[in-house]
Amino acid sequence: MHLQPDALSWLFLGILLPQVVASAVAGMRGSVTFWVFVLGMALALLAGDAFTLIFGFELMSAASWLLVLRGDERPATFYVTMAIFSGACLIPAVFLPASSVAFVLILLGTGAKAGLAPLHAWLPKAHPAPPAGVSALMSGGMVKVALYVLIRYAFIILAPAAQPWWGVVLIAAGLASVLIGALRAMLEVELKTVLACSTVEHVGLIAVGLGVALRAKAMGDETLEGLGLQAALLCVVAHALFKPLLFLGAGEVKRAVGTASLNWLGGLVRGMPRLGGLMLLGAACMAALPLGPGFAPEFLLLHAVIGAAATGGILARLFFTAALAILGLGAALALGAAVRLFGMGFLGRPRSLQAAAADDIRGATLWAMGGLAVLMLPVALLPGLVLGTMTPVFLLLAPQAALPPLAYAPLSLVLLAFLAAAALGFVLQRWGVRGTREVAGWNGGFGAPPPWLPFGDPATQPSATGLAEPVARAIGRGVLARDMADPTEIWLVAPLLRLHGRFVRVAERIRRATIRERLAFVFGALVVFLLALGLGEGG
Amino acid sequence: MSLTFSLAHLMGGIVLLCAFLLLSQRRLAAMITLYQMQACVLAAAAFWQGWAQHELNLYLTGIITLALKGLLLPYGLRQIVLRFNLRRAVDSAMGMALSLILGVGLIGIAVLVVLPSTMRAVSLTREDLAIALSVVLLGLLVMVSRRSALAQIIGFLSTENGLVLAAIGMPGMPFVAEFSVALLVLLAFLVVGVFLLRIREHFDTLDVTGIEAIERRGR
Repeated sequence: MHLQPDALSWLFLGILLPQVVASAVAGMRGSVTFWVFVLGMALALLAGDAFTLIFGFELMSAASWLLVLRGDERPATFYVTMAIFSGACLIPAVFLPASSVAFVLILLGTGAKAGLAPLHAWLPKAHPAPPAGVSALMSGGMVKVALYVLIRYAFIILAPAAQPWWGVVLIAAGLASVLIGALRAMLEVELKTVLACSTVEHVGLIAVGLGVALRAKAMGDETLEGLGLQAALLCVVAHALFKPLLFLGAGEVKRAVGTASLNWLGGLVRGMPRLGGLMLLGAACMAALPLGPGFAPEFLLLHAVIGAAATGGILARLFFTAALAILGLGAALALGAAVRLFGMGFLGRPRSLQAAAADDIRGATLWAMGGLAVLMLPVALLPGLVLGTMTPVFLLLAPQAALPPLAYAPLSLVLLAFLAAAALGFVLQRWGVRGTREVAGWNGGFGAPPPWLPFGDPATQPSATGLAEPVARAIGRGVLARDMADPTEIWLVAPLLRLHGRFVRVAERIRRATIRERLAFVFGALVVFLLALGLGEGG
Repeated sequence: MSLTFSLAHLMGGIVLLCAFLLLSQRRLAAMITLYQMQACVLAAAAFWQGWAQHELNLYLTGIITLALKGLLLPYGLRQIVLRFNLRRAVDSAMGMALSLILGVGLIGIAVLVVLPSTMRAVSLTREDLAIALSVVLLGLLVMVSRRSALAQIIGFLSTENGLVLAAIGMPGMPFVAEFSVALLVLLAFLVVGVFLLRIREHFDTLDVTGIEAIERRGR
């Protein structure tokens, strides 16, 4: 056991701290497993050697498995399969010398834990299962710890053997995550599942940034390297703030309404104005709207990809152009998902009695969510300053990287927009034409009642499933498998689950062995060793 | 000098033969007799080695072996057999032919391991060591292949005899080690005796199959 934190560790610890506090305040502080989970994450981040890192990482996996098990059994099995797979890849990888094999194993191990496609299918199932505080920490914290391990190995420990194709693999995996995550976030009905799918998308964005930086590092392109790292790490910071906020909010919705299915919510903003406001803020960040904390990283990321499209051969240029298209599609889908989340859940008329009678949040959870929202302010308005404080991390990861100043200054934009709005308001006040006009349109989620129900019925409003239907028809059929299931579930996860089941049966058989059978195992092993010794000596 | 070798080897061979016959016997009474013979021959071997190596300690080992394993333990085992009415008990787990073939294979492995890897040692020690390892492995095989708890104990005791055989063949083996091993075996025997009584009380048999079934159902 050996702890040796450096700038990167401190950055991730700093990211972890607010969510841990928020989750603890929001009701998890009494659970021992929760604190073991936190301890595992902190140990993995502070580790100075491979053993401590793996120990902390697996402690985190085991504790989070127990926490998921508290929610439901099937996702927990799903989750533990992936965690074991991740451990089986990571443990050999950290003891290998710097090589491409080590990188691929690290990528598989951390990708399986971070929810990087194609190893992401467990995440939308496992993250919504446990209580909200744990979901928040799993989505905001655990995923980041996996990315931390990836960054540490790809940029520091395996750096001497770096190859450009490492970055390309990472970008491809990230793009797949962006596309599938954003699409499923648009299609899913359960509020927490939507948020988990959005986590997959953001992990994909971070992976694309890291991939661009990794490729640039191997090719010796300092500007691009700095840009990619800035995008990835700023996205890590932003995501670690708004995703726990949203998950805590989803937990509150579930507590107040009894369900978090968007098809049964609606109109919550009237009964729960404070929660509605906070969720609107979180949804805006999730959609990476300008002036929010999610915009600056996406802005940097698009810059990095545009820059990368100007390097390399014709294939690389085509690849990065396609990457831009996918990122654009992902951003549009994320915006759609955020609009759908807020519009279906919080606007319109309540679709169930419980939704109509929901109580607003107060007390500890309000403080936790409010604290996270306040922390988002500097990231949203002063991203340049935040990037400046992260300079030691960039210097650690890429000593020769050039760090261009951020060409996006939201604070002045806010001031300009405020001035323009004030001027416009003044003009309208002074010279505008008074009068009202009826406009049919989005209408705040309200739909016109059908002719056979003239007095309206909340259930006749467009549902979340119905709103997503055009997207499902246009894109979902092409990308996803039948019944809008994840394509990797059939080809990758099901065989893994079967393999896991077989291993479990073997382990169970060994555990149930009688004394005589155990003696026979030991005896057999002894005979085999003796035989090997004898044959080795004789030959 | 050649008499030293050949007599030591003869006694080692008899010990091995006893261990091998132990594998083939199914009746507990016969197994106990075989064990007693094995222990007595072992004691004789210890006396002979003591005379050949001019070591007083080995005489002591021989006396302990004779008293403890040649007389006391067989007496205790016979008492158990009498008390539990196991005179005609037949134990079966593995086919006789199969266990004998496995036993021959184990002796082959022991020779294969010991003879090449101790090329430079004195030949007295080398062959003795091969025989001792065979006895140990055969005892373990008895433990694995029998169902009755008592037969498993006899296998365990036979394994320990093999260890002592190896120890007396080695010049310069400290006496404390042998003594403590002997004491340990006595203690283990006492513990197991109590354990057997308990099994008997609960299941009315010494066959551990019943325990295994309960284990399966219980977990």
